[in-house]
Amino acid sequence: MKFNRNFRHRTGLHLALMLVSLITVAPYLWILSTSLKFRTEVFTPTPKWIPWPINIQNYLEMFEMAPFHLYLINTIIVVTGILAVQLVTITLAAYVFARRNFWGKEFFFFLFLIQMMIPIHATFLPNFLTLKNFNLLNTRIAMMLPFFASGYGTFLLRQAFRQIPRSLEDAAVIDGCGGLRFLWHVLIPLAKPTLIAFSIISIVSHWNDYLWPLIVTDTPEVRTLTIGLGMFVQQESGADWTLLMAATAFVTAPMMIFFLVFQKKFVESFMLSGMKG
Amino acid sequence: MRTQRLTSYSYLLLGLFFMGVFTFIPVFLSAYLSLFRWNVSSPEPAFTWFSNYLEVFKAPLFWLVLRNNFIYAFTTIPVSMCLALFLAILVNQKMGTIKSFYRVSLFYPTMIPMVAAAMLWVWIFNPGLGIFNYYLGFLGVPRIEWLYDMRYALIAIIIMSIWKNFGYYMLIFLAGLQSIPNHYYEAAAIEGAGGWKKFRYITLPMLAPATLFVFVVAIISSFQVFDQVFIMTQGGPGDRTNVLVFYIYQHAFRFWDLGMGSTLTTLFILGLLFAIWLVFRVIGRKVYYEV
Repeated sequence: MKFNRNFRHRTGLHLALMLVSLITVAPYLWILSTSLKFRTEVFTPTPKWIPWPINIQNYLEMFEMAPFHLYLINTIIVVTGILAVQLVTITLAAYVFARRNFWGKEFFFFLFLIQMMIPIHATFLPNFLTLKNFNLLNTRIAMMLPFFASGYGTFLLRQAFRQIPRSLEDAAVIDGCGGLRFLWHVLIPLAKPTLIAFSIISIVSHWNDYLWPLIVTDTPEVRTLTIGLGMFVQQESGADWTLLMAATAFVTAPMMIFFLVFQKKFVESFMLSGMKG
Repeated sequence: MRTQRLTSYSYLLLGLFFMGVFTFIPVFLSAYLSLFRWNVSSPEPAFTWFSNYLEVFKAPLFWLVLRNNFIYAFTTIPVSMCLALFLAILVNQKMGTIKSFYRVSLFYPTMIPMVAAAMLWVWIFNPGLGIFNYYLGFLGVPRIEWLYDMRYALIAIIIMSIWKNFGYYMLIFLAGLQSIPNHYYEAAAIEGAGGWKKFRYITLPMLAPATLFVFVVAIISSFQVFDQVFIMTQGGPGDRTNVLVFYIYQHAFRFWDLGMGSTLTTLFILGLLFAIWLVFRVIGRKVYYEV
């Protein structure tokens, strides 16, 4: 009796999960399938899920139509640039907020918290004007600048630093390992999971940035993948779906591959992102 | 002690500098610029008090945009939160390696760029060749011109946005579920509590912090929706998918009406901060936090 009930309960569970998974995965399989078809194969009355004969020409052709290799390099530069500076700013600030006492600490911390609440899209117009004043429009650095400070990252890391016992710092100071050296040799290694989590979230979100790069770039030399894809769509104006889907698949590929390979780390990181919030 | 204090400030300096220049000054700058007429017909900023605000409120399109955005928020937020919670509970059950398959398939939309996701759905919603109409046909739904129909375009965007975002919320709920100590459930079982009671009196209250987090994130993101609108509909047809950030973008970077753009930006910030304050005021105090 018990077995029977349990079995039915399990089947229901897996049926529900399978159904939803199928619905969420289907769109991605469908672009992969479309991107591997010949142009004429798209026009079938019933959806043809398995592309046969396979055509990889679309993936080669898209590079002739637009400089996607350049977009890829630009994206990598922008994303790593943002992350590198973010790591410095958030580590220093989180250290100070977690370990030091000084006048105005609450106020400054409040500023960092408020930054999380201010919608980033609301700063783009004035930031555009600022960068225009400094003649920085249409550069890679322009795409990075507004994201260098992260109230969110600071907050996340401060929580991690606070969980490290104070006695450790006292011991380190006695051994002559205070200040920055303590931060570098003790706190950072101990807070590594949080740093990795923040890095993954930062990489994913800036890899996917669209509006800000759209506003500050206007030549292919500096454009990122997402902008390149948007331009490609307008250029092709929906005429050739196999080519468009190849470009779409290419733009999603780096993050998808990373995600599939480091699946566990990604999931853990995104889970951590809300825990401390 | 004094040098320590000085170094403390110096460590903060870098972060505060970027934050000041690119977050806080912009907020005040747009509030200031909102008081000027500054557009193509008036290339030099001219101080006009609050006339921009009056103009915004008088424009019927502004109210349509606001309505669209509220419809988007009030549909995507509850649907994706309920879906996320439901699936989190299912995925949290004991099962074998298939668990990671479920997690990946439910979460991967979060990883791909919104622009690419939007492209993908343009193809899926294609009236003639798209698989969406094809499979809906099995349910007896007649062919719909999704993105080209004033009645359905916003619904199409809502559907794709739920698909894109619920996986992240699910992970947050999953994290919340895993932090609930098992002995709560054991104690409840001894007391004779059934499945529903356990859910109602243990799971839900213990998930309150996760729910609050997801709710705030969902509010912020649903009023910042832009990419999918830009790619899928450009605000059309007939402005039925025009939303707040797209409206700001149009004014600032299409019509080069920087005064109007600043006014809308200022209203946007005020509205959103007010909404977040309200959420914390009403719900926040009931939530138990472990910091």
